[in-house]
Amino acid sequence: MTVMIKGNLRIEFPDGFDVKKFDDPSGHGLSCMKAVDFIVCLPDRNEAYFIEFKDPQHPRAQDSATETFIDEFDRGGQDTDPKYKYRDSFLYEWAADNGIIGTRLYYYVLVAHDGLDKSLLDRRSNALKRQLPVRAVSERRWKRSIVEDCMVFNIKTWNERFPQFPVRRLPA
Amino acid sequence: MPIERITLERFTAFESLDFEPSPGLNVLIGANGTGKTHLMKIAYAACDVSKTGSKFAGKLVRVFLPSGGRIGRLVNRRVGRSKCNVSVRRDCLELGVSFSSVTKVPDGAAVVGAGNWCASPVECVYIPVKEMLANAPGFRSLYERLDLHFEEIYADILDRAFKPVSRGPVPAKEKRLLAELRKHIGGRVTSKGEEFFLCNARGNLEFALLAEGMRKLGLLWLLIRNGTLIDGSVLFWDEPEASLNPKLHGVAVDIMLKLQRAGVQIFIATHDYGILKEIDLRAKPQDRIVYHSLYRGPKNGDIRCRATDMYLQIHPNPIDEALDSMYDREVARSTGGYGA
Repeated sequence: MTVMIKGNLRIEFPDGFDVKKFDDPSGHGLSCMKAVDFIVCLPDRNEAYFIEFKDPQHPRAQDSATETFIDEFDRGGQDTDPKYKYRDSFLYEWAADNGIIGTRLYYYVLVAHDGLDKSLLDRRSNALKRQLPVRAVSERRWKRSIVEDCMVFNIKTWNERFPQFPVRRLPA
Repeated sequence: MPIERITLERFTAFESLDFEPSPGLNVLIGANGTGKTHLMKIAYAACDVSKTGSKFAGKLVRVFLPSGGRIGRLVNRRVGRSKCNVSVRRDCLELGVSFSSVTKVPDGAAVVGAGNWCASPVECVYIPVKEMLANAPGFRSLYERLDLHFEEIYADILDRAFKPVSRGPVPAKEKRLLAELRKHIGGRVTSKGEEFFLCNARGNLEFALLAEGMRKLGLLWLLIRNGTLIDGSVLFWDEPEASLNPKLHGVAVDIMLKLQRAGVQIFIATHDYGILKEIDLRAKPQDRIVYHSLYRGPKNGDIRCRATDMYLQIHPNPIDEALDSMYDREVARSTGGYGA
């Protein structure tokens, strides 16, 4: 089992998963490029998951900051940062030429706030799909897609979908 | 004087229901066939007769239109003979009606409390799902002369819209609401003969040429301008979201909340997440909002109602359930091989 921690959030992966913490000096190290938090490779499935955690409900976050984040999130003001994180991480991995680019890539953003309902998560997922963009291959002259698909979760919907790599909040 | 309680026994789809509305904004949600519109029509009929003095039983027949005008057909259907009771209460007044499944004409129904009820009239308006202003020319005169199979709410809304404007200055609150609506509809509403027009700097535009959502906002403008929607009145609005672009949901909700703050009791029936969410986002702590979830009981399918003043506590919430299901299916479609 591999356990990864970001701030107050903990995610565990079963044995056999190639997991790297990407957004730290050992995983990335370039301050000029943004980075997702984790990259998980599943060579036997020819898939890789880029994972980004946002934690507006961190126990040390001020109430006003949490409210501001959620308000912005609702209005789409938080869509841009995950988009650039994915694109920069994609470019980094392309330059690294380590085999990840070329597998089917999925991007999952976890926003750890229990007040986010599924309708809002769906709208933000659609916005992220439009911006990355997902499913744009047929509309442009690309021969490959830069991302297979993406989705925005909260902790509950993440754990419903991925019981194999559960996320939980650590005690404050 | 807002409606305080509606009690139903064996009326239309209802077996037994005790409904206690808020004096502010009442949001009725529920799957199709859970009686939202019926509940609003009953309350509307009761309010309307307080003003017109017409008979409650007859009004129920005209707004529900049972086949052949047989009021007994409004009794909850079951094998054998049955009797229904309807009671509407406000400010220590009660208007009740009871009749059996074999009662043929409205006069055969027993009505109680009509005298006191009508001595204290309440202004009310029912906005149906289908916009009617564009169909106004000829409709009212035809409705009066012929036995048209139209629920009376359609003729009533036109009567309200044609109500003349009162003399004197418009009160400040109403003025602000009118200005806000005018900003969105791009003019003011006028009528000539039986036709409505949107009047602005470019001239008069026939209502039939106006988008249906705009006509709805135009109707609100008229009802505020002619004093139908004033402190103490009751507004019933069936599916305010119908024909309204989602960008205008916030405008409609904002007007409703402001009317409610100005003392208008409001009932809306909605199937729309946008309307619900806009209410939740725009509500202020002092607003008196109650969400009424109508649903069918698991055993015998009888209609029940669960009320809450908190958006997140609405249960059951078929709107959320439908959206949740869409998100779940999107998750299943958008995630890789791993997953539940």
